[in-house]
Amino acid sequence: MGRIVLDGITKSFGATQVIHGIDLEIEEGELAVFVGPSGCGKSTLLRLIAGLDRPTSGRIEINGRDVTRASAADRGLAMVFQSYALYPHMTVRQNLSFGLENTRMPKPEIAERIDEAGRMLEIGELMERRPTQLSGGQRQRVAIGRAIVRNPTAFLLDEPLSNLDAELRGTMRAELARLHARLATTMVYVTHDQVEAMTLADKIVVLRGGRIEQVDTPLGLYNRPQNLFVAGFIGAPNMNFFRVRATGGQAELPGGLSLAVPGEGEVTVGIRPQGLHLATGDGPALEVVIRLVEALGAETVVHADAADGTPVVTVLSGQPSLAAGQPIRLAFDADAVHFFGADGMRLEA
Amino acid sequence: MAGLGQTLGRAATWPLTLAARAVDPPLRAWQRRTGTGGMAAVFLAPNLLIFSVFVLVPLVLNFAYSMTGGTGILLGQRPFVGAEQYARLLECQDYTRPITCREDQFWTAVGNTAQFVIFQVSLMVVVSLITALILNRDIRGRSFFRAVFFFPVLLSPVVVGLIWRWILQRQGLLNLIMVKLGLEPEVWLNDRVYAFAATIGVSTWAHMGFYTLILLAGLQAIPRDLYEAAEMDATPPGRVFWRITLPLLGPNLAVVLVLALIRGVQIFDEAYVLTGGGPGTSTLYLTQYIYESGFASLLREPGLAAAASILMGAVLVVLTLIQLWLSRRAEGRKAR
Ligand SMILES: Nc1ncnc2c1ncn2[C@@H]1O[C@H](COP(=O)(O)OP(=O)(O)OP(=O)(O)O)[C@@H](O)[C@H]1O
Ligand SMILES: [Mg+2]
Repeated sequence: MGRIVLDGITKSFGATQVIHGIDLEIEEGELAVFVGPSGCGKSTLLRLIAGLDRPTSGRIEINGRDVTRASAADRGLAMVFQSYALYPHMTVRQNLSFGLENTRMPKPEIAERIDEAGRMLEIGELMERRPTQLSGGQRQRVAIGRAIVRNPTAFLLDEPLSNLDAELRGTMRAELARLHARLATTMVYVTHDQVEAMTLADKIVVLRGGRIEQVDTPLGLYNRPQNLFVAGFIGAPNMNFFRVRATGGQAELPGGLSLAVPGEGEVTVGIRPQGLHLATGDGPALEVVIRLVEALGAETVVHADAADGTPVVTVLSGQPSLAAGQPIRLAFDADAVHFFGADGMRLEA
Repeated sequence: MAGLGQTLGRAATWPLTLAARAVDPPLRAWQRRTGTGGMAAVFLAPNLLIFSVFVLVPLVLNFAYSMTGGTGILLGQRPFVGAEQYARLLECQDYTRPITCREDQFWTAVGNTAQFVIFQVSLMVVVSLITALILNRDIRGRSFFRAVFFFPVLLSPVVVGLIWRWILQRQGLLNLIMVKLGLEPEVWLNDRVYAFAATIGVSTWAHMGFYTLILLAGLQAIPRDLYEAAEMDATPPGRVFWRITLPLLGPNLAVVLVLALIRGVQIFDEAYVLTGGGPGTSTLYLTQYIYESGFASLLREPGLAAAASILMGAVLVVLTLIQLWLSRRAEGRKAR
């Protein structure tokens, strides 16, 4: 249970429109992740699904039922807030039972559900504490527990891990993935952390300025970004872009390396830093001068500049001995290259 | 032109410069002698002086007067009687019936004040809470209403008393309206119950803006996402109020309760202007009793008044300590 369909959703706050016509289907049991730059409308969209705000126009369906005008209470969804929003004056147990008491669920069943959530999230020993007496990670678990006990049609999570430190974020991320596998409930997850998006999602929705840029699986997005924005947004470090003029299906990269291009006129060539490697032999190559070397141990990130000043980043495996100021020659495989037309849309090779 | 402006400016600051030059050498000398720590005393001195003259000395004097008898005004003309004034005030056969007490007026005032405090403070808490809850919502003209409810706080209590006397007196506004509507006029302020209720209503009206403001601040400090979490949990509005709003507003409510208690016990100006304690002694409150027995009655008894005010002060000190404890606890809770 838990198929969510958005149909032509728009939202304006006063005169400012922040969501511009979103069509989206989230399948039952799917973990969909909304990513995008700050202010692109991720939280707003989630709140529209939750029923905390009403769309200006469009339709929202949950399991085939039109809930556009239904109250948040009527939608059977549970939300995990970025701030956790735990009731500060209640114990953990009271926080978990509060929502269940509203449904007039019998006491023994409430206790049973709380025990189960306690076991699942390992917060069993914290039941009599108040939120102020918990660590950030523990609060996060309680917030998730409060959603789980409700046994909702779908979970809505707004940047649930952003208040945790890097290490804890990693652990909780793995735990969320495990939880989703176990519960098999639809989840809509908002984040601006790419790693979270890539590792957790069945489906990633990339948003920009209140519009959907692309919807795809994590690898689909990585391998076939539909436009320049997605290409630049997904993957770290960011994709390298070279602006070239194509004539007769050929174009020249700065430095004179020529390659076949599926288009004419102004074309952007995109190559991921991981797709570049040191050229062997004297064949044609991309010639750059190193600006900065970041040795990370297992790999080395090299920041360099092409002949025309275009910045080029490459991630080389191992610890090659390189230094700033040194000229190097880079090569790449033909299938690691992406092409985008003057309108920013992908050109198929 | 710039030259003229500068000259004028210098002329205007001339007295200040002179004064600064005048106090500079003694201050420097003092600082050399006492170090920077001693300078604190210099800057605190004016305030301490004012506090002493207007609070500390009168307090001590008041205590001294309460130990003396007779009708003399100056302390030197008054014989020392020890705790006799207190004994007089406290002498009573049955505290529930003021008439059996030696100073029956005192006990009438105590009884009236107690009743006043119970009704007025309950009313105040409920009314200011409801007002705060309404003003905290997204209603049209919210800032206008906030101003409207706060405005009476800015009025002098005497003005408040006068306004309401014009409304409630025999030929006042209220009776005028009632006659226009074809109703029997009522002598509001000559009726024991109406007059008592009027002092409660008027003092509540005059001060509720202040308490509403405290509660409004408390309401706004409750994170909005708690209400959204409750909304997601399908919590009925009544339960949201009792289980979320009220507990989280607890510290502010406690502060309001105790502050209203303290000010309720001290009730004087607006009630005195409104009813003068009447009809009879039905709205005679403690402060009025103290004022009249000490200054305004034919037979002035400063000693008795001083003793009564010391007793009232003791009650207020207890209430103030409770208030301090509560607000400190509220601060502690917020800091966590
Ligand atoms: N209540 C509101 N009134 C007016 N404008 C709003 C309101 N809520 C959000 N906005 C605007 O809508 C846009 C989208 O906001 P939203 O909070 O959805 O962004 P977001 O993608 O969640 O960003 P972030 O990653 O920073 O959380 C922003 O430009 C914001 O200023
Ligand atoms: Mg957000």
